Amino acid sequence: MLIRTILEESAQKFGDVKAVKWLSRKEVLARSYLEMMEHVVSVRKGLLAEGFAGKHIALIGSSSVEWIESYLGIITGNTVAVPLDAALPCEDLIDLINRSDAEALFLSPKHRPYLESFLAGCPKLQKIWMLQEEAVKDAPEKVHAITEVQNAGKNASEDAAYPEETDLATIIFTSGTTGKSKGVMLTQNNLASNVEAVKISAEPGTVMLSVLPIHHAFCLVMDWLKGFSQGATLCVNDSLLHMVRNMGIFKPDIMLMVPMMIESIYKRLAGTDPGIPKAVLAEKLFGGNLHTVFTGGAHLDPYYIDRFAEYGIEVLEGYGMSECSPVISNNTPENHKKGSIGKPLENVEIRFENSEILVRGTSVMKGYYQMPDETEKTLKGGWLHTGDKGYMDEDGYLFINGRVKNLIILSNGENVSPEEIENKLALNPLVGEVIVTGEDNGLTARIYPEQAVVEAEMLDAEAIEKRLRAFLDEYNKKQPTYRQITHLVVRKNPFIRNATKKIRRQDVLIDEPLA
Amino acid sequence: MSQEMEFKNIVAQYSKVAAEEMTEEMRFREDLGFSSLDFMSFLGELEDTFDIELEEDKAMKIVTLGEALKLLEDLQ
Repeated sequence: MLIRTILEESAQKFGDVKAVKWLSRKEVLARSYLEMMEHVVSVRKGLLAEGFAGKHIALIGSSSVEWIESYLGIITGNTVAVPLDAALPCEDLIDLINRSDAEALFLSPKHRPYLESFLAGCPKLQKIWMLQEEAVKDAPEKVHAITEVQNAGKNASEDAAYPEETDLATIIFTSGTTGKSKGVMLTQNNLASNVEAVKISAEPGTVMLSVLPIHHAFCLVMDWLKGFSQGATLCVNDSLLHMVRNMGIFKPDIMLMVPMMIESIYKRLAGTDPGIPKAVLAEKLFGGNLHTVFTGGAHLDPYYIDRFAEYGIEVLEGYGMSECSPVISNNTPENHKKGSIGKPLENVEIRFENSEILVRGTSVMKGYYQMPDETEKTLKGGWLHTGDKGYMDEDGYLFINGRVKNLIILSNGENVSPEEIENKLALNPLVGEVIVTGEDNGLTARIYPEQAVVEAEMLDAEAIEKRLRAFLDEYNKKQPTYRQITHLVVRKNPFIRNATKKIRRQDVLIDEPLA
Repeated sequence: MSQEMEFKNIVAQYSKVAAEEMTEEMRFREDLGFSSLDFMSFLGELEDTFDIELEEDKAMKIVTLGEALKLLEDLQ
């Protein structure tokens, strides 16, 4: 099965149904399935005409109709899409463009200030297409509007051949435990089989509001690709600031959320006047049609499932990871158990090794791009080691109860490598030792100050804290919210180390002044 | 109700700190217990309640309650 086949079938079946809706200067615009496919085909043919067959193409930007059409143009042909986190600092993006061997880039207009740095820092990049229809003013030589590649496609007679099921479709970056993010290689069949295996059906024209970051596998595959397979109308949320406002505008039937969104909306519900009837509140906050929320990315406290049910909304939790394209198991309207992460998909086999969940099946990745050692550690004999501990109950429902790997999973679904952040913080001369931990939906930096600096500059406790906090505030300004440090603990003693002189992460709270 | 009190009541929805106990030095994430999404949702609520339009990148750099109050005043 190919994503291209799924999309072509949808265009045929749902032709005039609206595929995408979005806001432009407060006006709702839309594209039907047939119109969207025209744009997808023109990007695909354009990439072929411009000589990018077989190449890797990166995308940087938040959700937009241009982004998704470009992504689909890439993966339905013979090219590989590399969606990157638009919130990353410029130097991190340059690193990922280079490490993924991307030779072209689709870039949102918002990132225009990064253009020169990308061109200077990414020698393999041959072209950059801005995700905008207007011509790009004063653009460097390699930079064009998206219409350039689309027009090249419209004028070309040749279309790209159908890819093979085993061909690489996309590379999605995910946090690595060693502090370096890893490019998850997903094939055409990985993506398509995940779309097929999730047994959720929706009527054509079902409205879905997409609020998750589009470079994440959960959003990309389950909002967009799954939604398109069902003939749903996908609405672009232009900003997380306006999620509630946009629910009122688009009136979604179904939404995908991470637990942090559910928790945040609930705070708003709970903070309103208890005299207001729940049905009125549901209309005001959710638009009035929302009946189902699928959640994943992190574990949701089952408390919220009951609370949302009071407003007529069923919350169904699932489980997955980028390495599995991404869904492994999910609760469905017909089969669900509170607190569990649902039953495994039909294309997935599960077994346990020392309580760790291992997964095998058609959605499991090909490996990590250019990281054979990491691949070997994670994929053993076709079994993916998830790093999560869990068990299956007598009814076949899967439960998670711990982690094997040293990754912090925040309730917004972001996986954060503490080492990656520690390495950056350690560059400050006043930071002697640092450990980053996750708690209260944020990150805490536990720092033992460098004593040589403390003594040389005769810093007292107050001065140390002030200097470190100012440093963290500066660091935070350049980071996406999920990598920002929200709490600081200044230690009076060094961390406890093991025989090989490594800090014992499990013991970081011992001997802590605020513990 | 004063604008400041209305503002603090919105903050209080997301926080365990009561509106009367809030000070301008308090940090949204660290002292008031906001998650990153609470903060974005809060900014959206400010826009709707006070009929203002925030510059997202600038607003996201706000750390303390006082900074948010100042921005609100500047926009009115």
